[in-house]
Amino acid sequence: MTALTIAMTHAGYVAAGWGGAVVLIGGYAVALLRRGRRLSRQVPPGERRWS
Amino acid sequence: MTIVSPETPTASPDAPTGTGSPATRVLGGLALAAVALAALYGLVWSPADVEMQDSVRLMYVHVPAAVFTYVGCVITTVASIMWLRKRTAGWDVLAGAGAELALVLVILTLATGSLWGRPTWGTYWTWDARLTSTALLAVLLTGYLALRRLDLDPDARSPRVAILGLLLVPNAILVSRSVEWWRSLHQRATVTTLDPQIDGDLLVALMCGFLAMALVFVWLLVHRFRVGWLEHQAGRLDLDQALADRRAEGRAAVAGTAPDTGTGPGTGTGPGEDTGPGEDTGPGEDTGPAASPPASSGTGAAPAPAAPAATEVTA
Repeated sequence: MTALTIAMTHAGYVAAGWGGAVVLIGGYAVALLRRGRRLSRQVPPGERRWS
Repeated sequence: MTIVSPETPTASPDAPTGTGSPATRVLGGLALAAVALAALYGLVWSPADVEMQDSVRLMYVHVPAAVFTYVGCVITTVASIMWLRKRTAGWDVLAGAGAELALVLVILTLATGSLWGRPTWGTYWTWDARLTSTALLAVLLTGYLALRRLDLDPDARSPRVAILGLLLVPNAILVSRSVEWWRSLHQRATVTTLDPQIDGDLLVALMCGFLAMALVFVWLLVHRFRVGWLEHQAGRLDLDQALADRRAEGRAAVAGTAPDTGTGPGTGTGPGEDTGPGEDTGPGEDTGPAASPPASSGTGAAPAPAAPAATEVTA
């Protein structure tokens, strides 16, 4: 995999693009889950219709 | 209605403690598998492009992100229309969820596009019609979300937010058609045509990117909607709690102003500082009802006698 990456042209741009996508979407997903856990403690279970 | 303070543990042991559910867990697993497949196909198995070389691999993120930015805009506009018709909280929450996802994806679109443009066009940014209109869409989405966060009465905020939400689809159409309406450095549509001008392996890699982005988008949308719903419910409960507190304060104040707690007509501090009939100091110094807020500071039973005193003085 490392050899393949090194052989790749524009490897830095590709790594930055894919890495940035993982960090951005993954970070957003983690933040959403944490917000959901924090908020769900303030709301009775009956108001969580997916439960 | 049950009033719950943030400190009160409310969830039963069986209740979920977040926005997840069995369905979203399955969906999340599928999304992760699709992301892994897209990464393998996009970074390893698919060949480099003849002209773009390996920078074409950025397209497997860039194009799906751009398309699902439009999807987020459509969701927001449709939900805004539905809110204007139905006026129910669910549509408002859905509109906000779609816009927030669209903003995340438009940022990703701009970032990956810039990274692709540097080796291909020789620049990270140019004031091209597609790029500029996409940047304007990002600004519009930011403004929309800022408007949602304004600390306004929901009855005043929601119609304004819904009307702004109506502008997102026209703006997305502007972005999408900009490469045809104006001379643009950006290439025209290649995969939305019936005969896509793209090689087989590259097309499969792009479709894997679309599949992964679609599953991730749906998973994020469901969770963001549930977070918005919890915010709405928590705000409603906070309001109920504040109203209950004010009612309790009112009852306590009424109980605390019973007649036996006053000091009587002679020394009461009823409306204003009127000292009652016996101690009236004449017109110049009378600070009777006209100079004091009624019943704001009065704790005695003096109001009834005080009014005639002032009348007598001014007469």
